[in-house]
Amino acid sequence: MSQELIDLVVDMREDEAVKLAEKLLDEGAEPLSLLDDCRTALGIIGDRFAAGECFVPELILAGEMLRQIGAMVKPRLAAGEAGEQKKLGRIVFGTVEGDIHDIAKDIVVFMLDINGFEVMDLGVDVPVARFVEAVKEFKPQIVGLSGFLTLAYDPMKNTVQALADAGLRDSVKIMIGGGQMDDQVAAYAKADAYGKDAMAAVTLSKGWVGAN
Amino acid sequence: MKIIAEKINGTRKRVAQAIQERDAAFIQNLAREQAAVSHTAWVDANAGTAPQREPDDLIWLVETIQSATDKPIALDSANPKALEAAIKVVKTKPMINSISLEPGRRDIFPIVAEHDCPTVALASGEKGLPKTQEECLDNIARLLEKTRSMGIRDSNLYVDPLAMTIGSGIQNGLIFFDSVREIRRRFPEVHITCGLSNISFGLPARTYINRVFLALSMQAGMDCAICDPNNHDIQTTILATELLLAKDKHCLNYTRAFRAGVFNKPV
Repeated sequence: MSQELIDLVVDMREDEAVKLAEKLLDEGAEPLSLLDDCRTALGIIGDRFAAGECFVPELILAGEMLRQIGAMVKPRLAAGEAGEQKKLGRIVFGTVEGDIHDIAKDIVVFMLDINGFEVMDLGVDVPVARFVEAVKEFKPQIVGLSGFLTLAYDPMKNTVQALADAGLRDSVKIMIGGGQMDDQVAAYAKADAYGKDAMAAVTLSKGWVGAN
Repeated sequence: MKIIAEKINGTRKRVAQAIQERDAAFIQNLAREQAAVSHTAWVDANAGTAPQREPDDLIWLVETIQSATDKPIALDSANPKALEAAIKVVKTKPMINSISLEPGRRDIFPIVAEHDCPTVALASGEKGLPKTQEECLDNIARLLEKTRSMGIRDSNLYVDPLAMTIGSGIQNGLIFFDSVREIRRRFPEVHITCGLSNISFGLPARTYINRVFLALSMQAGMDCAICDPNNHDIQTTILATELLLAKDKHCLNYTRAFRAGVFNKPV
């Protein structure tokens, strides 16, 4: 573990963090330990975000640092080791039918991805049937439904219902989020939870796969 | 500068509660305080309720707002049924908020054409928000083809190029100002508007970003904004910017506002 690397990532010192990672690798540091350090740093950043001390552009930059360091680490991993970067779980994510908003969804997908989930992003205006199909084929533990408008309430409800009709409801936890969503909408749509932002989605997801 | 006053929006918790409980006094107060600002051109009414309830809720909102002010209302909904229901009870010609190329908004165009209403026209396309400036301008050009073919006048359009949050792309401010200039150049008759606070989403101390964004956008050619007209920073920024852009003859609005106490620090 390199406390220095963790600190640099947390302090948003992109160039220095990337350089240090390079140096550590050249000096023979364990490649996987670098990824662990990045995850530790992201956890701290996530907590700060939740506390209102750290902001969206910093989440994006943190993800950027993790990507760069990840790309450096990957070629140095032995064939078997790649498997050790086990994903925490699979998530199907999309903005429901009739709604085309993607900015917040993209941030959530991105945060889930860099926090160790394998995310299948179905995009925007996703028909109910496409969610059902994706759950069958990708076998996720979690489904994330995004929607910005109040018009998304019913498509969310219909999507949850369709998963139930297809006999898939018990195989997944369903979270919703977006502009006009809240706990009441989650109850209306019969989803399992509402998440207010990207970090909430990460926390919910980690809880559901027992990774907290 | 025209303001579409944004506060009567059912997606805000307190307003949702007032709609649910039919708390007319609460809505009337919001309508009155927003209408009292001279830049307010429309008081927005967004019921924000489930589609089945929305027509009734929007009618109630319109009637309640009209009992408090004569300012025209911006009917804010993506639901043609709610818009059609509400348009029957408005006393003065309303604004429609909004049309776009999104498939779900298709049925709103005929309502705008039939009633010859001013309307917010979003730059989103069939597949969502524009990813680039080219896509944004292309969407607007195609939207105008459609409105023109339906006899909707350019001067009734309040085009929203959709400001993206600066937090997710540091170029987003520049892209917005460029888009505004380009829309002005290509479509001189249309008005240009935007939801003012989107630009600062995800950042702290948002009011500083919002008000400078407002001034720079006005300089680029934006002549309308969807915002809280009672916000002291917004009010004073509009007054000063209009003055500097030669839109306030003899500085009269500015000096009058001073005498009316608009520049006093809010308590």
